[in-house]
Amino acid sequence: MKFTISREALLRPLQLVTGVVERRQTLPVLANLLVVARNGALELTGTDLEVELKVTVGSVDVEQEGEATIPARKLADIWRSLPDDAEVKVSVEGDRSIVRSGRSRFTLSTLPAGDFPRVEGGAGDTEFHLTQDNLHKLIAQVSFAMAQQDVRYFLNGMLLEVTPDHVRAVATDGHRLAMATQPCSSAVSGRVQAIVPRKGVTELSRLLEGEDDATVMLGKNHVSVRCGDYVLTSKLVDGQFPDYEKVVPRDTNRSVVGDRTTLKQAFLRASILSNEKYRGVRLSIESEQLTVRANNPDQEEAEETVPVTFDGEPLEIGFNVSYLQDVLNVIESAEVHIGLSDTNNSALIESPGQEGVAYVVMPMRL
Amino acid sequence: MHVKTADHTADSAWSRVIVHADMDAFYASVEQLDNPELRGKPVLVGPRSDRGVVLTASYEARPFGVGSAMPVAVARRRCPDGVFVPPRFERYKALSQRIMAVFADFSPRVEAISLDEAFLDMSGAHAIFGGPERIAREIQRRVFEATGGLTVSVGVSATKYVAKVASGYRKPNGITIVPAHEVRSWLAPQDVSRLWGAGPVTQEKLHGLGYHCIGDVAAADEALLRRQLGAMGVQFHDLAQGRDPRRVARRRSAQSLSSDRTLASDVRDPAEVRRHLQRAADRVAKRLRSKGLRAGGVRIKLKTAAFQQFTRQCAIAPSDLAADFYAAACRLYDALGHPGPFRLVGLGTFDLLRAEAPRQLGLFESARQSNLEGVLDAVNARFGDGAMHRARDTGSQTILDHNVNLDFVDEDEDG
Repeated sequence: MKFTISREALLRPLQLVTGVVERRQTLPVLANLLVVARNGALELTGTDLEVELKVTVGSVDVEQEGEATIPARKLADIWRSLPDDAEVKVSVEGDRSIVRSGRSRFTLSTLPAGDFPRVEGGAGDTEFHLTQDNLHKLIAQVSFAMAQQDVRYFLNGMLLEVTPDHVRAVATDGHRLAMATQPCSSAVSGRVQAIVPRKGVTELSRLLEGEDDATVMLGKNHVSVRCGDYVLTSKLVDGQFPDYEKVVPRDTNRSVVGDRTTLKQAFLRASILSNEKYRGVRLSIESEQLTVRANNPDQEEAEETVPVTFDGEPLEIGFNVSYLQDVLNVIESAEVHIGLSDTNNSALIESPGQEGVAYVVMPMRL
Repeated sequence: MHVKTADHTADSAWSRVIVHADMDAFYASVEQLDNPELRGKPVLVGPRSDRGVVLTASYEARPFGVGSAMPVAVARRRCPDGVFVPPRFERYKALSQRIMAVFADFSPRVEAISLDEAFLDMSGAHAIFGGPERIAREIQRRVFEATGGLTVSVGVSATKYVAKVASGYRKPNGITIVPAHEVRSWLAPQDVSRLWGAGPVTQEKLHGLGYHCIGDVAAADEALLRRQLGAMGVQFHDLAQGRDPRRVARRRSAQSLSSDRTLASDVRDPAEVRRHLQRAADRVAKRLRSKGLRAGGVRIKLKTAAFQQFTRQCAIAPSDLAADFYAAACRLYDALGHPGPFRLVGLGTFDLLRAEAPRQLGLFESARQSNLEGVLDAVNARFGDGAMHRARDTGSQTILDHNVNLDFVDEDEDG
């Protein structure tokens, strides 16, 4: 195998594909990228056996076709450190790969391409199209609420739900839940649900940019997303996602409307003196104002008063301030609606004009 | 200050010097320290709700017959002028850290039992700190300085058990020193409620059998005690003689609570392993609830017949329910995928939090399990351990013959 390509043309693809490679691997070959040079194009693949990312780069000067696996992180580090306008020649001789550019020369080890494991994508049963921007937004609106290494493994990912007229993403760590919806027509009957693991979600979100379509294919055990030159295939989490509709409160009897930026800044300042471990803040809602109070074991205290629209029965309720901040960071509207019922039940946070987007946060007993 | 004067000049004769330091009415004293208006008044630290129990009563409140673990409603009736203060565990914890730091200056071997009490192994420290009485006075002085005015009662003896009984002998701000050769005579007149592991049910049983003071137990025949009370009887006999081989564990605080049992016969059947995990989960959850703690982590320990030991752990949403621990333990056991056979099956919990600490509510949690396990505790507390158990455990020898209620038995003895 022998090809020549500019540093520029391969930089982003190489970095994205390397992103999938874990720092610690169970098999040595998983530290490598599969590199295939054929028909004037270059194909790079990285995998951790759960998520596989493949990119095809066209218009490559392929002098000799072939394939090999090359250490991913080392290759990406070398590539990044080369001068901006460098032309790079890559070749494989015996069991070594050689990277040459200007006066630099690197000899890297290789492993046989035949040992490289592929994630078996298979045919997808359900398919839908969204612009990359919209898919990116859908993920960004909810992914912060995914659980991390929870024993309830089905929470360590994002639910993707497809119906004939919408695509919905839902994430929850059991304490708060985020839901976002995009109108999208697809040829499914009823509704199809799949849980994309945390890593698949983060890697996918890094790929998406621009107005071009992304095609999402959901199979029984895999999801495959094609966007531009990239194909990301991820295993799905085999499990039952909780019935999210059940935990979205529909009967909150107290409604608070406030300015998102003002609230966000008040929470940020109050959080400085909240208990570092629990991050609890006390909200007191009374006529036309919301007071945020925080204190810590050193008996330091913060108090912030924010004018809001509210004329119901006063209420005092505690929350983990980070959960509130996370929501206010992803909402885009100037105003925010907070629906509450009592001290022990969840808050529903919505953004006016954003249909199908909702955030549910359970309170904290302080 | 009270000092028990006894012949304890021959310090070099002490085989071990164990100190038990116990803060006086800790939570209430902290409230009085922080709020001068409360000083000199009967202060009761406890939840606002009438359904809860008093956590600590200040010394001003005690003449009214009010004490910790008493239902709030009862305390209100007995002490109508008492000032009720909700607990501030974060504050207590912050002060506790200062107190533990003081203890650490005295000995590298400090075993914190809770926020407000600890054992210190001062064996061999005579040359540095002087005799037991000087050590005790110095601890009192340093704690008072570090906290800005809190007092501690100190017991010193050659065993953990006697040191603990001694620290409670004169309170507040007391010092009680019991040299090894005086232990038996000093313990003899004390009530059997002072025996470690003797709860209300056991105390009644002891009284029924004619054992009223510790001396009665010490004088009894060990074989008779074993027949009357089983393994617990032997334990009591040892304690009554002042025999207690437990060492001071080097640990910062009781950060974990576990139940590990070597089984009567090795188990291989996954259903049987799970049954032992369930049993351990029940025990650990009950202990956590009785201590007012919740755990944020679960670990399992399995030792194969070939003595190979496996431990696996995971984080969970903080809980004090056996159902949660059991579910996590089963996932860990399934993931381990070892065929056994196992000679030891254990379940432990760690990342312990006060139950009253801020508590994040969950979207998918149910109140039913928590009510069920609470009722179970109440029944077993009233009618004795094992009064109510799982139907499938009935008749299972390996599970039901371990009903001895001995505190500390399950805790990791050493780091």
